[in-house]
Amino acid sequence: MRYQWAVSFVTALALGIALLVVAPLAAHRLRRVRADERPFAPAKLVPPAPPRARRRAKLEDRALFGVRAAAIVALAVLGASPLVRCSRLSLSRSSGASMAVAIVIDDSMSMRVVQAGRSRFDRAKSAAVELLAGAREGDAIGVVLAGAPARVALAPTTELDAVSSVIASLRESDRATDLDGAVRMASTALASLPQVDKRVVLLSDLADGQPDAPPVGEGSPLPLWAPLEDIARDASDCGILAADDVGARVRVRIACGKSASAAGRIVEVRVGKKVIGSATAQGSDVNVDIPKDAEGGDRVAYLLGTDAIASDDAAPVLVASSASIGVVVEAADETAVTGGPPVVEQALDALRTDLATRPMPAVPDQSSDFSGIAGMIIDDPPGFTPEQRRALGAFFDNGGVVLLALGGRAASAPLGATLDPILDHATTWTPLDAKTTGVAKDAPASFLGEATRSAVDLDAKKRTTIAPGDLASLDVVLPWSDGAPLVAEKNVSRGEGIVVTLPFALGASDLPVRPAFIALLDAFVASARSHASQRRAEVGATWSLPSGVTAAVGPDGPVEIAREGGRAKLTPALVGAYRLTIDGKQELRVAAPSAKEIDVRPRRVRAPEAAAKLGATEARVDASAHVAVLLLLLLFVEMILRVRAARHARAA
Amino acid sequence: MSVAREAAESFDWSEVASLRIRSRLVAEGVYAGAHRSARRGSGIEFGGHREYVAGDDLRWLDRRALLRHGRLLVRQFETETDRALRLVVDASASMGYRGEKRAHDSKLGTASLLSAVLARIAVASGDPVGLTYFGGEHARPVAVAGGREGFERVLGSLEAVRAGGDAVRDPALLDRALGILSRAARRGSVVVVMSDLFDMPEDAPERFAALASRGRSVVVVQILDPDELDLPFEGTVRLRAIEGDALVETNAEDARAAYRTALDELASRYEGTLVARGARFVRASTGDDPANVVRAIIATVR
Repeated sequence: MRYQWAVSFVTALALGIALLVVAPLAAHRLRRVRADERPFAPAKLVPPAPPRARRRAKLEDRALFGVRAAAIVALAVLGASPLVRCSRLSLSRSSGASMAVAIVIDDSMSMRVVQAGRSRFDRAKSAAVELLAGAREGDAIGVVLAGAPARVALAPTTELDAVSSVIASLRESDRATDLDGAVRMASTALASLPQVDKRVVLLSDLADGQPDAPPVGEGSPLPLWAPLEDIARDASDCGILAADDVGARVRVRIACGKSASAAGRIVEVRVGKKVIGSATAQGSDVNVDIPKDAEGGDRVAYLLGTDAIASDDAAPVLVASSASIGVVVEAADETAVTGGPPVVEQALDALRTDLATRPMPAVPDQSSDFSGIAGMIIDDPPGFTPEQRRALGAFFDNGGVVLLALGGRAASAPLGATLDPILDHATTWTPLDAKTTGVAKDAPASFLGEATRSAVDLDAKKRTTIAPGDLASLDVVLPWSDGAPLVAEKNVSRGEGIVVTLPFALGASDLPVRPAFIALLDAFVASARSHASQRRAEVGATWSLPSGVTAAVGPDGPVEIAREGGRAKLTPALVGAYRLTIDGKQELRVAAPSAKEIDVRPRRVRAPEAAAKLGATEARVDASAHVAVLLLLLLFVEMILRVRAARHARAA
Repeated sequence: MSVAREAAESFDWSEVASLRIRSRLVAEGVYAGAHRSARRGSGIEFGGHREYVAGDDLRWLDRRALLRHGRLLVRQFETETDRALRLVVDASASMGYRGEKRAHDSKLGTASLLSAVLARIAVASGDPVGLTYFGGEHARPVAVAGGREGFERVLGSLEAVRAGGDAVRDPALLDRALGILSRAARRGSVVVVMSDLFDMPEDAPERFAALASRGRSVVVVQILDPDELDLPFEGTVRLRAIEGDALVETNAEDARAAYRTALDELASRYEGTLVARGARFVRASTGDDPANVVRAIIATVR
């Protein structure tokens, strides 16, 4: 039988290092045996050392030996320039040139799912830190957040400390997911940079509620790498979208992901910790009966049981809106043409809003007449009487929204009748020049969207001209082609006024029969609904608030209010109740989860096979610096131990 | 030639030859020596006259005084008896210790040298010498004998003895030596005990002091190694007693002061007990000049 034994250089080196460590220990032990025990006749006269001194001497010896042995090992390891193989993300470099990378981090609600003891969001943050660790001087790194709406957290910069700081400050949210918007935003952010090697890294579970949509990144000009395959998995989740108090019961609307069902789960309504009603879910809508003598206070609906995401299993209960839209239209103008209800009422019906339409003969002159009215459409009024102005003022104070169409009648208001509190000055009904037929072809589409193009040619002969003194207080959202306002907004107290410089009468223009008119009414109804006394909106949607808002407290504490040009805005990032202080009064609003976000199925990513060239999940990291720091620390500790030992010897 | 013999032969007798052991007490000896005896009778030295009374031995009538002074006078004589030197050497195991650097010899070696010197002095003074041990291997006690022969016997015994025996495990070790001594040592004997006094029974000081009864001179010489005086070790040490099972782990620097105090207390106890009974105590080191030690011993005997 033959044995072959080969010792490599590394093995021999390791044995040599081991000898350096073991030899002193052996010498120490031998020295202890030979030197310590000796014959001494008067040994009985020698007092034994106190236990503390013996332990201290032992401890110091052993501690000193241990530190020295560790220092020898560290020195040997340092000399070997150790490379540590570890599981972490790293970007592949095709050449030595610097690169520009946009890291897209998904901070949506689906990233709250916990896997292997940590949330997907934590996993994404850690991955971002790992990628950043592999960055070199000259690399430009940007951070984009994929929670809806997608936003740039940090524009690409070579200041890697700033990137690190931004990543560390990121927090989870309950937003919906906008992967396409985030990837587009990332590509745009990198477009103007000088680096040749540009790429987008998507740290997401790819769950944007559109699992069958085209792959993420398709059509993007830059390479896309989505390395977190371990979190791109479906998860079972159900959540409460809305909980409305409809009198004797609370109606709870539930949404579930494809692989989940709420059937059999209990829905409870509580006031504080007290349960005032419960029911077993059978489907997506659950009615929970509430006793008449139930305890008063803020009610919250809970979906009991455990699923992938906990933050969507509770929702504040709102009083169901029974508000309506008041319509004040001179019917005589309309019936002559259509032979039916006024065009405005017909258009409102077409919108199928949940707000009833309440035709009114005139603008109410009593505040109480505005009860239940969320918004008023007033078509070309002949000014407002003082009583009407007072009542409108109170309506605005309660957050009411008015859509005011101005035409000839408004311009010829009698003495004493003004358009206050919306406009301070009189208007004029002036002819349009031939060149101005409607909005410009490239007019901003932010207000009416695609329907803006339908307002290019309105076939109008005249329009209302607003006094310059009023123009300064208006926010023009849709101008005529010559820049004059066609549609303008204005905050009035806690409410909002939308001014249109054409009346809704068909005789004045084609506006009422254009898609732009439907879009205008839709925007008005949405604004009216959002200004209702108790309001619900999706997480991530921006609330436009009255300028009198002074504070906002969300589920996580105080929330920052953004102010732009006299307008206050708040974008809720978490599901739950938000209490706003507006002009000294408390107002409750609710941020609800997006139904799409509850579907956690991942979407496909463009060309995953090409991703292997963009980066890897394994890296070899030079640990020399860490070992060097450790060695310095050990030498420092040894110095301290020796000083202490010398002090003890001197004391003795 | 053994160390004891070499030292004895090479010892400078001129220094101590004039130092002869003299006893303050009159010893009854076998041979007339240089010490005064309690008994008066015919002897070597004229000790005065007295009037003749009837019955006196006419052989001692001083005829010259009769012829000169016409008086009948009888001579008186002082008889000088030999003072036996009884050497008691501790040859137990602890006496075999020799320190690393400063000692000339082991404690037993030093005790043997001192004993040989004292024996020579005694013999030169006409006093017999005897030798007893406690402990020791090949320890042959020597009966009291005078002259060169006695000296040679003592020397031969000192040369042959080796350190051995455990006074802790064998408490009767001391009994055997002192028992014989207390019976055999006559009035006027000089008993010199050479020992490190370690591991002795608790009543050892009293037993040594008891030897000083019946007109005996007792000198206890504690012989120590310089290491045993100073505890010169450094750091943590484990000290194993040579006799007995004692094992002490200590830090030498921390323990030194307390050890010296304990050593001094031991010596003080012996000295106090011995002096109270008329005995003497001498402290010596194996690093000391033996002549000085012998002088110190002899000085205590005068």
